Amino acid sequence: MSVVVRKFEPDAKLKKMLDQPGGVTAEQALSRAKQGLESIRENCLGATDEKIASLQALSSVNETGRGEKMYRLSNEVFAEAGAFGLSELSAVAHSLCTLLAAHEGSQPPRAAVAVHVEAMRALRRPELAGDKAARMAVLQGLRGVVQKFSAPGP
Amino acid sequence: MSGVDPNARINLSKANVLLVDGSQHSLDMLVQIMKGFGAAEVHRAQGVIETERLLKSKSFDLIVIDPNLADGDGYALVRELRHSTNGSPNAFIPVILVSGHARASDVAKARDTGANYFVAKPITPNVLLQRIMFVSRDKRPFVEVGAYVGPDRRFKFEGPPVGSDGRRNNDLKSPLGTADEPNMSQNEIDMMIKPQRVML
Repeated sequence: MSVVVRKFEPDAKLKKMLDQPGGVTAEQALSRAKQGLESIRENCLGATDEKIASLQALSSVNETGRGEKMYRLSNEVFAEAGAFGLSELSAVAHSLCTLLAAHEGSQPPRAAVAVHVEAMRALRRPELAGDKAARMAVLQGLRGVVQKFSAPGP
Repeated sequence: MSGVDPNARINLSKANVLLVDGSQHSLDMLVQIMKGFGAAEVHRAQGVIETERLLKSKSFDLIVIDPNLADGDGYALVRELRHSTNGSPNAFIPVILVSGHARASDVAKARDTGANYFVAKPITPNVLLQRIMFVSRDKRPFVEVGAYVGPDRRFKFEGPPVGSDGRRNNDLKSPLGTADEPNMSQNEIDMMIKPQRVML
């Protein structure tokens, strides 16, 4: 059975545009982008805290579509915290996404979800902001709990 | 600034960019990054319906989209864009998919959308600039085969972008270094290409 393959080359408009004289150097572009991100840092991290509060509220209710809502919120925390360098918080959010994806269509284990949300809240405490070792300890503790939850039953 | 030459020049002063993300704050971040890169016009959308409306009414030079949208399937949106060949000015424009945590089913969907490149969140300006430059210089032809329309999914000739480790176990890492065996003779190469029948 033969498969028809059509090959074609669309107009490389973006390349022509990027190569036009003028513009900025990559260094300038990156510096301006980073400044722009910094200008919305507080606003975005405030929103991240609200998302963690929403996760906490959702973790204790029985609501249809709860898993999907939590997955979406946790995915946002993962991306937004990670972009602002909060790597431990981002890692916890990613772990929660993995847990929720593994229970897609069913109720995620309440205790495992609660541990993740508590870890997120702990990582946002101001006293942990400058304490990398304490943040890593929270992350390490969470990993231990996740392993326990994912271990096969007796 | 690994992977991007700091002195390379980019000119997006005439570029019209569409940014799509279900999260208001992720969208704000993408807007700040693209404005920092000097994009002339930045349009934003948070859902499928809004994106479709913009794609019908404007001509864009680049789309950056997180396909996990609340009001519909962003993967299907990109796939349909690639099939909208009846004069749509946006059918074959570069599309960069950005995604956070991806479910296993999303990976296959992402591969089949016809997008030019996939970038994992968290997004950093450095990675996004690298990918924009890669996509703009990408020489892969578009192919239409079965239900797929988009760039050839094989990186056979171009290899992965500079600074990236590639996606396959057998992707060659550069620099390749020196050979650790002597070169084959022309005879040996000929024998491999044209094996001769041997009478036993």
